[in-house]
Amino acid sequence: MAKFKLASYWASACGGCDVAILDVHEKILDIAAAADIVFWPIALDFKYQDVEAMPDGHIDVTLFHGAVRNSENEHLAHLLRAKSKALVAFGSCAHIGGIPGLANLFTKEEIFKRVYQETPSTVNPENITPQPKVTVAEGDLTIPELYNTVHTLNQVVDVDYYVPGCPPTPKQIWNVVQVIVSGKLPPKGSVIGASEKTQCDECTLKKNGEKKITAFKRIATAQPDPAICFLEQGFLCMGPATRGGCDTRCQLSGVPCRGCYGAPAGVLDQGAKALSAIASIIDAKEEAEVQRIVDQIPDSLRSFNRFGIPASLITRKVL
Amino acid sequence: MKRISIDPITRLEGHGKIDIFLADDGSVANCYFQVPELRGFEKFIEGMPIEEVPRVVSRICGV
Repeated sequence: MAKFKLASYWASACGGCDVAILDVHEKILDIAAAADIVFWPIALDFKYQDVEAMPDGHIDVTLFHGAVRNSENEHLAHLLRAKSKALVAFGSCAHIGGIPGLANLFTKEEIFKRVYQETPSTVNPENITPQPKVTVAEGDLTIPELYNTVHTLNQVVDVDYYVPGCPPTPKQIWNVVQVIVSGKLPPKGSVIGASEKTQCDECTLKKNGEKKITAFKRIATAQPDPAICFLEQGFLCMGPATRGGCDTRCQLSGVPCRGCYGAPAGVLDQGAKALSAIASIIDAKEEAEVQRIVDQIPDSLRSFNRFGIPASLITRKVL
Repeated sequence: MKRISIDPITRLEGHGKIDIFLADDGSVANCYFQVPELRGFEKFIEGMPIEEVPRVVSRICGV
């Protein structure tokens, strides 16, 4: 069987998705046996010009991780779209915006002010900030333009498949590789390497019965029982509003789900779903009592939308 | 002046770019290392509950 051509690229990302691919351990040799890796910046020395020289559709599958945050990310998204038969939004950032998407709660100016003026470790009396083009004695230097808004991959180019997770678990990555190698790809637009159920459907922590929350607790100031459903104990957990498939690794490690696998199948807005789920289990009749309980959730905006602000219906802070 | 651009720098975590300028005799006249990315953790982490911070800042670098 001819080898298929595989690419892996990071845009606005941390590199954790690439490391998760390597975390398939010795199976990486099976991937190398089945695939010609034609572009993979973390591991192999191909340059952008090598990709530009490829004919369109040359790459069979590109695993694109990272959000689209600047003009270079956008250029590579278009370039790899053209060069790839199948483009996969791989990991939370490409899928739903990820942690970099939290920047959509601020403007580019607010971020620049904090990063280049206000941080305690910064000394910048001339207020120098990165410019897309700088002329030096030897010529022009260019860096990408940072955008005001972080985008998901499918807001910029056509995407064939989605692999959720921050990062996707190695077990699921191996499942995805097997699907690709088999050639039996699902319908375009499918989420692969995850399940159709919610985290709660798959979570093995003990559920005692009906959830009735009269007080929210924080793991910074209270100790949950690691064997019992976090929500039943009053600890905010994104399980009801998050797609399953990760083997509930956070919950089994003693911390509540924060939603990196994105909205469950059929749910448009993960944060809204979380809000709805939490609202339905607050045990109070009077409005003042509801308010008292809700006020115990610290930072509800970033807790309900930890990974998916760019993919939410509103996509960013607008006021 | 001849320019050699290394873009991207590979086999490291993150994004980097190097422009090397060569003089007429082939020696290096100047060299610029450029970081073409910013995400803004310094800003969007502000005000976050302390117990949430470890699982966010671990995404600065996943390598």
